[in-house]
Amino acid sequence: MAFAPLDPVLHNQLRLAIVSLLVSVEQADFNHLLERTGATRGNLSVQISKLKEAGYIQVTKGLRDNYPNTVCRLTPEGLHAFEGYVKAIKDYLHH
Amino acid sequence: MDTPMTPEQSLRLIESMISQAKQSFSRMSFYFLTWGVLLTLAMLATQVWSGVDPEVRHGAPWGVAGAVGGALSAWYGARQSRKEEVLNPMDRIINWLWASFVIALLLVLFTTLLAGGDPGIPITLMTGIPTFLTGQIMRFRPLVLGGVLFWVAGVAMQLVPEADVRTALYCAAMVLGYIVPGILLMRKENGVRPA
Repeated sequence: MAFAPLDPVLHNQLRLAIVSLLVSVEQADFNHLLERTGATRGNLSVQISKLKEAGYIQVTKGLRDNYPNTVCRLTPEGLHAFEGYVKAIKDYLHH
Repeated sequence: MDTPMTPEQSLRLIESMISQAKQSFSRMSFYFLTWGVLLTLAMLATQVWSGVDPEVRHGAPWGVAGAVGGALSAWYGARQSRKEEVLNPMDRIINWLWASFVIALLLVLFTTLLAGGDPGIPITLMTGIPTFLTGQIMRFRPLVLGGVLFWVAGVAMQLVPEADVRTALYCAAMVLGYIVPGILLMRKENGVRPA
């Protein structure tokens, strides 16, 4: 039986962690993602950019208490991709 | 985090992150502590005042507690919303739950007072609902038990006619239903494990 290929955008630990966190919340800012994933600022920033380029997350840059603040939220495309990824993973595990 | 993942590792990572996200609630201990202290003081003040002048209904302490609590809650809520790092849909549900409770509470308060009744017991019983549900949503057992305590206290207040005993029951419910869970929640929010 042929398995669906895993989405290369999501099949990366940090990008998958970011999307998994965003699935359960309406939005999360950069510091929250940094704390929860344990990633470095640079790596997190790069992976957020890749997810944004893929159209999986929406990134809003603004100010909070006069400091730059980046807020991320999952797009419908991101949610769809995540659901497809989970289904593909389960197919792998069940066969 | 760039090492290759097996399907098992992917699934574990997803589960772990979703589980973490579900625990990302706004800080709520401030509200339980503030209202718990204010309403306990209001009840005690009413009781003392009634002893001095039993012929008059003494609503002033409740009005003061409501105004101070409302102002402090509004100030804290506005401050928190500026600082919040994550917006959890469960936070929104908890906010609406408490907003609907406040609306129902005010309606019960005014209609009962207009009818010449004592709103203390129905309000105590009602207070159990959002406390219990908030505890269930947050999976925080002290608040769940706090909600149950309000129901027990409300029923007990109905059964005893003595004002002093009713006051003691109300204060006990406030301390054990709001203040103690509020302290435990604050410790949890600050990352301190209970002893």
